[in-house]
Amino acid sequence: MYMKQNYFKTLMVLFFLMTIAGVKAFSQGFVLNGTVRDESGESVPGTTVLIKGTSNGTSTDAGGVFSIRVPNGEAILVFSSIGFATQEITVGNRTQLDVVLAAEATQLSAVVVIGYGTQKKGDLTAPVSTINTEDMLKRTTSTPMEALQGTVPGVQVVAGGSPGASPAVRIRGIGSFNNSNPLYVVDGMFVDNIDFLNPNDIADMSILKDASGAAIYGVRAANGVVIITTKKGTKNMKTRVTYNGFVGLQTPVNVPRMASGEQFAAYALEWRTPADSGSVRESVNRYGGNGLRPATSTDWYDALLRKRALMTNQGIDLQGGSDKVTYTVGFNHTYQNGTMDAKNDFQRYNVRLQMEASPYPWLKLGFTSILNNSTMHFPNNNAFLAAYTASPLVPVYDENNVNAFPVKFSNSGLIGRNDPNAVADAYYNFNRLKQFQLLPSVYAEASFWDNRFTFRSQLSQLYGSGLRANYVPQRSLGPATLVSHLVSGQERTTNYILDNLLTYRDSKGPHNWSVLLGQSSRQEQWRLTRVEADNVPPEEEFWYSRQGTPNQAYYDEDGYRNRGLSYFTRGTYDYDGKYLLTATFRADGSSKYQSKWGYFPSVGLGWVLSREDFLAGQQVVDFLKLRGSWGKLGNDGIRPNSGYAVVTLGNPSSAIFGSVGNTPGQYIPGYTVNNFFANITWEVVTEWDFGVDFELFNNRLKGSVDYFDRRTADVALDRAFPFGAPNIYGNWASMANSGFDVGLSWNGQAGKLGYQVGGNFSTLRNRVTDIGSLPNIPGGFPEWMAEFPNRIEVGKPMQYFYGYEVEGIYQNQQEIDADPVAVSANAAVPGTVQPGFFKYRDLNGNGIKDDNDRTNLGSYLPTLTYGFNASLTYANFDFSVVFQGVAGNKIMNLNRGRYVKGQSSLNLDADFYENLWTGPGSTNSYPSAFALSRSWNRPQGASFFVESGAYLRVQNVQLGYNFKIGNDAPVSMRVFATADRPLIFTRYSGFTPEISGIGYDANVYPISSTYSVGVRASF
Amino acid sequence: MKNITYKNRIFKAALLAAVLLAGCSDFLDNPLENQTPSVQIDYTDLNRMYQPVSGVYSSVTKGGFASWVHTFLKTSQSEDIDPRTGYSEVNELVHNYKSGAVIKGFWALDDLWSRYYGSVLTCNSALAELDKFAANIGDGDQANKQLLARYQAEVRFFRALLHYYIARSFGDVPVLGVESVDPGYLGTVGKTPVADVRQHVISEMDFCIANLEDARPNQAAHQGGVTKYTALFLKAKAAMDLAGNDNGSPHWDVVLESTDQIINSNRFSLFEDYYQLWKKPGKMCDESILELQYSDFGNPTGDVVMSGGQVWDNLFLFQAPQNTYGAPINGDGWLIPSDEAVRFLTGRKDDIRLKTAVQHCGIDGRPGTFSVTPDGDTISGNTAGKKYFNGKAYFPKSQMTPGRVDWYGANNNVRVFRYAEALLMNSEARIRKGQNGDAPLNLVRTRVGLAPLVNATIPQLMDERRAEFICEWWGERFNDLVRTDQAATVLSGFVKGESEFFPIPQVQEDRNTNLKD
Repeated sequence: MYMKQNYFKTLMVLFFLMTIAGVKAFSQGFVLNGTVRDESGESVPGTTVLIKGTSNGTSTDAGGVFSIRVPNGEAILVFSSIGFATQEITVGNRTQLDVVLAAEATQLSAVVVIGYGTQKKGDLTAPVSTINTEDMLKRTTSTPMEALQGTVPGVQVVAGGSPGASPAVRIRGIGSFNNSNPLYVVDGMFVDNIDFLNPNDIADMSILKDASGAAIYGVRAANGVVIITTKKGTKNMKTRVTYNGFVGLQTPVNVPRMASGEQFAAYALEWRTPADSGSVRESVNRYGGNGLRPATSTDWYDALLRKRALMTNQGIDLQGGSDKVTYTVGFNHTYQNGTMDAKNDFQRYNVRLQMEASPYPWLKLGFTSILNNSTMHFPNNNAFLAAYTASPLVPVYDENNVNAFPVKFSNSGLIGRNDPNAVADAYYNFNRLKQFQLLPSVYAEASFWDNRFTFRSQLSQLYGSGLRANYVPQRSLGPATLVSHLVSGQERTTNYILDNLLTYRDSKGPHNWSVLLGQSSRQEQWRLTRVEADNVPPEEEFWYSRQGTPNQAYYDEDGYRNRGLSYFTRGTYDYDGKYLLTATFRADGSSKYQSKWGYFPSVGLGWVLSREDFLAGQQVVDFLKLRGSWGKLGNDGIRPNSGYAVVTLGNPSSAIFGSVGNTPGQYIPGYTVNNFFANITWEVVTEWDFGVDFELFNNRLKGSVDYFDRRTADVALDRAFPFGAPNIYGNWASMANSGFDVGLSWNGQAGKLGYQVGGNFSTLRNRVTDIGSLPNIPGGFPEWMAEFPNRIEVGKPMQYFYGYEVEGIYQNQQEIDADPVAVSANAAVPGTVQPGFFKYRDLNGNGIKDDNDRTNLGSYLPTLTYGFNASLTYANFDFSVVFQGVAGNKIMNLNRGRYVKGQSSLNLDADFYENLWTGPGSTNSYPSAFALSRSWNRPQGASFFVESGAYLRVQNVQLGYNFKIGNDAPVSMRVFATADRPLIFTRYSGFTPEISGIGYDANVYPISSTYSVGVRASF
Repeated sequence: MKNITYKNRIFKAALLAAVLLAGCSDFLDNPLENQTPSVQIDYTDLNRMYQPVSGVYSSVTKGGFASWVHTFLKTSQSEDIDPRTGYSEVNELVHNYKSGAVIKGFWALDDLWSRYYGSVLTCNSALAELDKFAANIGDGDQANKQLLARYQAEVRFFRALLHYYIARSFGDVPVLGVESVDPGYLGTVGKTPVADVRQHVISEMDFCIANLEDARPNQAAHQGGVTKYTALFLKAKAAMDLAGNDNGSPHWDVVLESTDQIINSNRFSLFEDYYQLWKKPGKMCDESILELQYSDFGNPTGDVVMSGGQVWDNLFLFQAPQNTYGAPINGDGWLIPSDEAVRFLTGRKDDIRLKTAVQHCGIDGRPGTFSVTPDGDTISGNTAGKKYFNGKAYFPKSQMTPGRVDWYGANNNVRVFRYAEALLMNSEARIRKGQNGDAPLNLVRTRVGLAPLVNATIPQLMDERRAEFICEWWGERFNDLVRTDQAATVLSGFVKGESEFFPIPQVQEDRNTNLKD
């Protein structure tokens, strides 16, 4: 620590001295005018004109005209524009310069944003994916990451169903259990997600997938890094206005059909208990029908769902710049209604401001700010759960339910059931989160010594606040009247990062090199205050806890404050663009853990074969590069822990004494101590990556192939202990992920028809490599750990599903009598196993169903994720389609498994019901209805509930038409029609095979397709 | 020159900011917010010494001990209870005394195991806390030394109580002492034979008897806390279980000697109204030897402390009848008195106990009919056709804190050990030792209006125990049948050598493989 401080101070003094030296380099010069045209003679507006080695420059106006002050005749001007090859021209003694830009077939010279800097795509030694922001705009999603689904190899995006829900993002498998989402860096600020951004705000997006690319972010980078640069103006550009908007309708798709009233009645009677048959009889008595054939058949999902829910998105932005100032202003608005027919929607607007000024040619000062304001009305997801399990024998409303008010909802208690009324649950729910977030950042950047050195200092901040109001009114579904209840919460987040960067870039002959030195400190602080009260009046104006009845337990406060301090450096070197070297090192200190400091090195090598003589003169290979890299990363996204015994004070740990006769007891103060803790540190990832990038056949075939091998040590997870000891969060496991990332695309032109096809896939092999001295670590989904456990074991995929394997169904008594397992069970308790019951595989062959018969039932991790797309352009029309899918993963269907804990006959999906065993030979895969009520069939994690999670989805189909309005300053227009997620092919029986987390499907929120039309205009 | 000044300022500012941040040596050294380290407790303040003890009471009363899950598991093992729970595992297997591999994965068993042992772990960390206070007691400070021993005894009483009940349910189980604060130990500790667990309980009780307060619990310094007599009582129970059906067992001497001490203290008496004993008037009365205390603080709304912790855990709610006449007496109607229990009580004309334990749901449970309780509450029939509900878990609306409409059973305690059982244990020990046990037995009988017996026999005494504790929650009936070797005869489905204990939950075996054998 002391060493580092001294080192750092020396460094700062050095910066300071160099700054003074740099001033002498500045002088005056002369003005150069010119035009930029393409090969067909059309002017190219918006071309960037830069003086090489400086950040001074301008851009061409609508007529392709520019004007720039150059220091002297030796200055080299760099002309670059998207879709054209970059050109460098030495000024000499010219004062007028007309440039013709050649259309560019390759994007190798494109500049890619990497951590704390940029690099040419051709010079990269790490697999960095840059996102085509144009394609992103085609997707009609409310969050930008969802728009990436299926487009980037090695990046898996799992979408959520409810409005505004953040998708889960996994880069190259599961590196961690804690937070598998990558680090997002928006204009230098670390954020947890980019839901607050609109796809329209994004100028550049790079995904650093491997350790050598991400190591510069050290302890935050284990899950990969997504770097986002928001749109910025350029100098001397004509003001450009862009409008983007769409309006769409969402329709729930793939909603499972639940068993009808008739089916359910037959099922419930098969349970053969007084309670189950009593409820069927009472349904007939109360709501009609005859005998044991109720007339009621409520489709709870139908009652809960909107057929069409609106979604709109609009954005407008303005970019421009003079010779000293550039700016951007953007405004976006998104509205998404939920498909639950209740107060359930998401609304967001954001305002983005960016300005950069160059008061002196060597100095840039700037700020960016993103203001974001959103309101989310959460649905009561319990309503969907209730819809799934509730008996269809109860109507939604019941005029004869005398006690019910204010709405005459039915009460399943009247027919002796316990089902909540799903529609009432949704109706009596108001859960609003208003969020306000501001991301301001200010920076200063100074260049000196002919721009070889750049020093940049940036302060980025995040202020967020959230206000939650969750109100349930006074209501009754009979007989009890439930009081109104308010939960009111306030959250505040204040984060900052202070970065200081010194970059040195130079070249001599064929040698090019750069060095980056940086220092960063950051703090993340969050605080929550929550109050609750009963009997609060219904008017929103009175939603204060003081207006109701308080309770000791109705007050809570929580918070955290984490700090980090980092020093990092990167060196790059290339010889003639042929041999490439990148090395980085970061030292990270974190306040979250007992061991404070970690060190993260990386190195990458590249060899551009296509620049070698032996590949000169041939026509096939345009570009070929081999890459290899190695690096270490950390993940501090894991929960901090105290590393000491924690005391719980106050009422939760105090007992009542003196509760005698008519005297109510009182607390005597107490406390309890949790002595169970482990010292914890961040997870460490070590990764190798070997890759090849190529462009063939006149740049028509482009692609890259990578093999990666990443090992995560000290994986932190909650480990369960016996004897009811609390779970201990510690670094309990190590694991390895390896696989291939492959991306390919082909472009072609046939007359007026342009076409492009592309595809990508990633394979993943995940294995646990070490769990210390333990044979295994059992775990599972909260509340279902005993019934549907999973396991961590060396040599197996992380957290594989563990349990009994169902071989089939006993068809008749002979089969039971012939099976020693069934015979032994029936000998203990006659009738335990009957025809129609599960037949478990006797794995250890001992003739008894015992715990050693349990086995690996599959993993939730897909072994293959893939996407492919095709696009056509013909004259002004364009058409594109994107497919996306995964294979090789399993899902534990907890929804079907709910009957295992069911206290009476819960409803099941119609498919399940219709396939139930009804007699010998009817099916060998589904049990009988009666079987579901018997303990033999309510086992631990039977393979019956494990289903394949493979799917192929038509992700997006879009048809667009481009045209121009006006002649002088034409407005470029594009109108388009989109179908988002219109179709899915899967054999999975639940709502959607897209399950985030550890593969347990308890999701009951249907996924929607969105059909929309939109327009884009720019001038 | 001006340029230089600007640059100077920028760099000086940057330098200053960076050096300030880097220079703060404690920039990274801050404790976790909102998590108080135990080291911040002032162990020199001996006035706080009772706090870890109160924490133990809190864990036992609000933890698993009196929650629905564990009471329905234990109670369902008696022929006097028709479980009628929502779980086929309980209705089919627990009630029929089959507890093989099928039931090993049943979540409720794991919940019972985990929450009981969870409270054991709380006891052990409380003992470690008391040691830290002990280090600050001066050599000559006899008063505080005595207090320390008393507080340790209170904690050790609960630790032994929990072990006693865990062993009753699971047989051979580990005994967790203070070394269990090491999580590695938990993953490897092996089992202790059930007899040794009971012996351990007895030796723990000797420490407790020597150090606990000599007072009736409702007169204890911390009113309602455990005292010397609670420890004597548990010692007698453990000895009784060890003695089993063997009249010659020396353990009967322990039973007799311990219960004699309780009786001869003259501190206890039977509460005269057996029906009201389970209701507000009987709360922590002079009959009470161990009672878990709760409160609604006498307020119509606001804070309520109930058994379990969750709304559902509440001992009263899940046994409340399914009643269309409304809150708060409206629950799930589990653990209903069986027809056999009604027949038994009716047959011996045990009217007061019948009225107390068996309440009616309408007329024979038929929907659309209703009945009225002795306290005037209207109870409807139900679609499941449950004829009765457990009257010992019935709390009349009229006794609730005025204005309170929710939290059925709020402001009532949960009775665990009663003086009546001390009398019956004393009587049994006497009879088994060939003495006359009529005097203590007849005290219990006359309280409920039954005629005294003369020269009572063991079968008569066992009948009395069955009737006295009928429909209570601690598994006395099942234990008595097992203890006297009657289980296989009386309980249909019971197999000697197989049905005595629940299997150790599968998840626990998976987490500690030494629990397998």
